[in-house]
Amino acid sequence: MLIDLVQNTLDGLMLGSSYALLALGFTLIFGVLRRANLSYGPAIMVGAYAATWVHLQFHAGFLALAAVTVLGAVATGVYVERLCFAPYAGGRRRTPEAAAIASMVGSFALWMQLEEAATLVLPRHLYSFPSFYGGPPLALGPLTVRVEYFAMLACAVAAAFGLHRLLTRTRFGLGVRAVIDNADAARLAGVNVPRVFLLVFALASALGGLAGYLIIAAHEQVTPMLGMWSTLKGLIAMMLGGLGSLPGAVVGALALGLMEAHSQWLAGPQYRDLVAYFVLFALLALRPAGLWSLLRSRSAGPA
Amino acid sequence: MLEVADLVTAYGKIEALRGVSLSVAPGSITCLLGPNGAGKTTLMMTATGLLKPRRGSIRFAGEELAGRAPHDIVARGIALVPENRLVFPTMTVTDNLAAGAYQRRDNVAIAQDVERMFARFPRLKERAQQQAGTLSGGEQQMLAVARALMSRPKLLLMDEPSLGLAPLVVEEIFSIVTELNRDGTTIFLVEQNAHMALQVAHHFYLMEQGRVTFSGTPGQVAEDEVIRRAYLGSAKA
Repeated sequence: MLIDLVQNTLDGLMLGSSYALLALGFTLIFGVLRRANLSYGPAIMVGAYAATWVHLQFHAGFLALAAVTVLGAVATGVYVERLCFAPYAGGRRRTPEAAAIASMVGSFALWMQLEEAATLVLPRHLYSFPSFYGGPPLALGPLTVRVEYFAMLACAVAAAFGLHRLLTRTRFGLGVRAVIDNADAARLAGVNVPRVFLLVFALASALGGLAGYLIIAAHEQVTPMLGMWSTLKGLIAMMLGGLGSLPGAVVGALALGLMEAHSQWLAGPQYRDLVAYFVLFALLALRPAGLWSLLRSRSAGPA
Repeated sequence: MLEVADLVTAYGKIEALRGVSLSVAPGSITCLLGPNGAGKTTLMMTATGLLKPRRGSIRFAGEELAGRAPHDIVARGIALVPENRLVFPTMTVTDNLAAGAYQRRDNVAIAQDVERMFARFPRLKERAQQQAGTLSGGEQQMLAVARALMSRPKLLLMDEPSLGLAPLVVEEIFSIVTELNRDGTTIFLVEQNAHMALQVAHHFYLMEQGRVTFSGTPGQVAEDEVIRRAYLGSAKA
């Protein structure tokens, strides 16, 4: 019983760390542009399909497949940005709300387009995809850890650390933080804001692509549903953590992973997503600023 | 230094600038007066590229600025201290200053300039690692000025730098304006506080309803009955 609890917690954290990668990318775009990119997941799906195609054609090694997934996601992410976000992002607008809606609806349209395109090239509902590891799970005493999941944890930690360094130590990071704080002030300070938008899309898509590769390699299968699935996980983790906060995204993603792992064990797999949606609903109703604000106000203590 | 000719900027069908022409002489402090809604801020935002003009030209050191992006204009040597300051609230004071130097790549000189700003604005040095959003209004204004200076502008635009500040802070801002000008920076400022502006500026423009309706020296401003009544109260300056 206790072993199960620990095992589930461990599984949840590792699952959550793949969500953390998804959520970091999604949140980066939301934080910088203040707009939800519904084609975030579909861009990852295109990367996954490109990798599947390369796998079927050439039986390439896992590093090549990971690179193809990431590059496919980045190329598609840039395509989405140019088409749906760049035209509505320049300068001051008379109707910023209309521009935001145009971007979101545009990204929805591209989602449909990308899904159709992927299923035209690879029409079966499900393709198998190779894992990068063929051996048995690692044993830690009575606990077991799948190597694929452990890789998610390691990549998420490395990505979070790298992203933090990038944002706090580089000129580009300074520009990104300036745009997040106040886009007009960033323009006046000399930041090339359209360029920051484009690079942020590329970076976010690379994080998403990495998450996508790790997830399809762990599940050993690819379906067109990966697009919607990735957007949803990224969106839920971001909302759990608090809109637009990068540390919040990690906290929200880990919480989501833990909830899924425990509810699957307690109530069965069919209730797993239901529990996640219910918790999201409850949190939005009671604490709309997200889990991160809860942690922060707690640690801040009495003012 | 800055030559604005027949400039028209519109928000949809509403023209906020309806053919503005004026010029800022190199080395001068030029002041733009005018009531709310006259188009003063629109002019500042057009000059910095935040707004695109519909017609007309803005030339800086002989080069056309209309149609250029804000970061390009900053790189050419114009910086704006915007209305309401617009500091980066969650970034530290030091990072705000670094962001002001975003177009520059000379990291050593940037670090030296940060130290120079701290020497000039000691309050900012005390608050170097504090988030800018936690500063007082006056401190934020100092930070906005320092951030603009970090790009080493040849022309500094200031949009109502004294707005909402205590009289002592206003005095301080104006003494900084004079000091910067003495060091060779040309300054073009929008100001409602005509009493203060009269003490520092070399030339005045008055804008009303999107047009320039007056151009003159401080002496002419003080003698103009209408301007005196509107901007200096009834007392003779």
